[in-house]
Amino acid sequence: MDTPVIMPQLGNEIEEAQIDAWAKAPGDTVTKGEMLLTITTPKLTMELEAPATGILKEILVPADELASVGTTLAIITGG
Amino acid sequence: MPKSIPVDPDYFRQPGKLAFPDIPLHAYNTSFEDERARHGDRVLIDVLRHMMLVREFETMLGSFKAKGSYQDITYAYKGPAHLSLGQEGAAVGAALSLTPEDHIFGSHRSHGEFIAKGLSAIAKLSPQDLTRIMETHQKGNLLRAVEAHIPVSSVTNLAENFLLFGLLAEIFMKANGFNGGMGGSMHAFFTPFGAYPNNAIVGASSGIATGAALRKKLNGSRSIAVALSGDGSTGCGPVFEAMNFASMAQYDTLWTDAQKGGVPVLFCFNNNFYAMGGQTIGETMGWDRLSRIGAGINPHAMHAETVDGSNPLAVADAVARKRELLLSGQGPALLDVECYRIGGHSTTDANVYRTREELASWEKHDAISSYAARLIAAGMMTEAEVEAMKAGVTASIAAVTRAAVDPAAAPVIDIPADPTLIGRLMFSNEEIPVPTSEVKLLAAPETSARIRQDAKKSRSGIGPNGEKLSAMRAITLRDALFEAVLHHMLHDERLIAYGEECREWGGAFGVYRGLSDILPYERLFNSPISEAAIVATAVGHALEGGRSLVELMYGDFIGRAGDEIFNQMAKWHSMSAGILKVPVVLRCSVGSKYGAQHSQDWTALCAHIPGLKVLYPATPYDAKGLMASALSSEDPVVFFESQRLYDSVETFRTDGVPADYYRIAMGEPDIKRDGKDVTVLTIGPSLFPALAAADQLEQNYGLSLEIIDARSLVPFNYDPVIASVRKTGHLLVVTEASERGSFAMTLATNMTRFAFSSLKSPPRVLGSPNWIVPGAEMESTYFPQADDIIQIVTSEMYPEKHTNRRGVRNWNDLDLARQAL
Repeated sequence: MDTPVIMPQLGNEIEEAQIDAWAKAPGDTVTKGEMLLTITTPKLTMELEAPATGILKEILVPADELASVGTTLAIITGG
Repeated sequence: MPKSIPVDPDYFRQPGKLAFPDIPLHAYNTSFEDERARHGDRVLIDVLRHMMLVREFETMLGSFKAKGSYQDITYAYKGPAHLSLGQEGAAVGAALSLTPEDHIFGSHRSHGEFIAKGLSAIAKLSPQDLTRIMETHQKGNLLRAVEAHIPVSSVTNLAENFLLFGLLAEIFMKANGFNGGMGGSMHAFFTPFGAYPNNAIVGASSGIATGAALRKKLNGSRSIAVALSGDGSTGCGPVFEAMNFASMAQYDTLWTDAQKGGVPVLFCFNNNFYAMGGQTIGETMGWDRLSRIGAGINPHAMHAETVDGSNPLAVADAVARKRELLLSGQGPALLDVECYRIGGHSTTDANVYRTREELASWEKHDAISSYAARLIAAGMMTEAEVEAMKAGVTASIAAVTRAAVDPAAAPVIDIPADPTLIGRLMFSNEEIPVPTSEVKLLAAPETSARIRQDAKKSRSGIGPNGEKLSAMRAITLRDALFEAVLHHMLHDERLIAYGEECREWGGAFGVYRGLSDILPYERLFNSPISEAAIVATAVGHALEGGRSLVELMYGDFIGRAGDEIFNQMAKWHSMSAGILKVPVVLRCSVGSKYGAQHSQDWTALCAHIPGLKVLYPATPYDAKGLMASALSSEDPVVFFESQRLYDSVETFRTDGVPADYYRIAMGEPDIKRDGKDVTVLTIGPSLFPALAAADQLEQNYGLSLEIIDARSLVPFNYDPVIASVRKTGHLLVVTEASERGSFAMTLATNMTRFAFSSLKSPPRVLGSPNWIVPGAEMESTYFPQADDIIQIVTSEMYPEKHTNRRGVRNWNDLDLARQAL
């Protein structure tokens, strides 16, 4: 089963945020709750956790790029 | 919130009990013989003479207040005289253990401390240094007056007269007093002798001394700062804030290298048992001995102890021991120096709050007579020699006094001859050059994600197709502020920044985000929620040669730091007749959406207080340039920032925000839109509803607004506004502050005078109503909106254009005023 990693709504005025860095690479095992990536809004930097346990199948938005709220950033498969 | 310090439940959930270190009471037990060996007889005999000088000086002042004369000298002294009769042992004893480089910050009752510190410094400085200091101060003017009017026998004697005369001339507010007559009795100081400003606000020196000690710690000075205040000051919140600020654990846990360790500040409470007429022990305070409060501040109980202030050698011993602790990084320390005040609080004090018996019971513990008896008993002086010393001291004070009341020696300040003399002392109006030195960093700036992210952003807020860019894609006002701060932080070691959650969080609104990656703790740190201490320490740090950038998170918290902003930050430059500089930038964000206590524009409060420069930019370009000017200013600046605008991008300048460093001169309003029919002068974010109104008025009514963004409230150049009103004949001032007493009212009133002949209608102020800021859902009914501007322009300035009522302000201002609204 695939679980998408979604750019969350970060406060009601934020429309997009930047991916700063991925803590995992495709093919890595991830555990639910583990820090997966850091993102930055105009105001703050925060860590996003893996929403499921499994293998990081694919990163759809690489580091340094912007993504709108609701965008699928990566896919976790299996688990 | 450093991740390196875990909050461990296994530790915090353990049962147990707290233990407190012992706090010694009157533990001094050194024999007089040992003191002779320690200090030498000459110094011990001078201790008596210094105490006598202090007492006779204050006796003279008391005599002027009581009788208008001292000996055969008559003089009408109108100012205050808070005497410390009975406390001479505390003052002279403490000074004995301090070097000229140690700095004291006193209180309203500090003549004695000032004189004692000065005498101590004179005894320790070389004749060459003394001569240089006296020749340099006021270009030698004060020295010339002393030489011409007071007989002397040596350089030391000359320096003592210089000290006493400079102080007395200051107390009499004469032109050649130490502070040019701008300080007076409660605010005298002379920094070359290590006597920093005394303070008429009870306890206010605590935070200032802490900030000064912080600078001493940062610049590697092997010296301490001493906060002198009375027992009554322990009832003042800012004193506790300062003691906590000085005790922050991070100095040990997070600061590194040479900066690791405590702040070298000694909180020295000269405890005379009375807070004016309130009795601290047994009546107004909870503590039974003042030193007990140290136990509440940190695990070392601040190394607190109670010492006998009637014995100068006990005080000197304690101060010397605390000084060593402070220099070894174990500060802060606290001394409770019990020294009964035998005189009144002031010369109008009738002693109705204490008995004659109590006063009599302390007589035998008088510092001077008991110390003289000890010198006689030790065979160091005879009674006749003591009497001769007393006579010599009295003659010295008489000679100094005679000169100080003589206008030839101590000229009065002639304001009618120079009406703006005091005004010119309010600001230095100086700026430092663009800082270019290199500083210690944790990492190269390019490694910061924030800096790399900003580097990819468009400098302009307008995209290639004319579209407005988002805050993630263009430099915002927040980023613009960051860039100015970054340049100064990277190139000026003297500058430090702090406030609540300024480090990892980057400030509550992210302006500093990323700075913690590159700057060490001693340059950028989280402060406690202590607004008074934040501002007071910033002032002390600046007085000591540092530069301070501090923030209050919300401007609504200005009240928490009221004294520190209005009486300390604003006044030390002028009260020192320009000698002291106060390079402090105080950032205050103006909130939105959080209701009555988090959304107020209090610029008018700051603009009202003489001595503060007040800025409120509304665009990224202006924010960066004005922040650079503020950080370069040698004068204190209150820098307002609208939270609503942090994400705004630059839309006025086609080139956007320059990446390079630049400054915008303070005080210059900026025309943001040209027009011919109405001049709209806006403060802060009011610029944007004015622009929206201008669009509609242009399209629907054929009226063009000229919009001028004030940018700066103090200073303010009226010329561009006058020129605009000459063209338009109408002026509307828009502000988000409540109208009553706002700075917009000041602007409108002045413009009525400055441009009366050009005006076709009365200048109009549109501000927020005189009631609380409502919550987010109702804010648009509170802050001025485009419709409110259109309503005023079309009903009051161009009534022929008026159609339907716009906006919600359908009320009668005369009725509201009657209703206190």
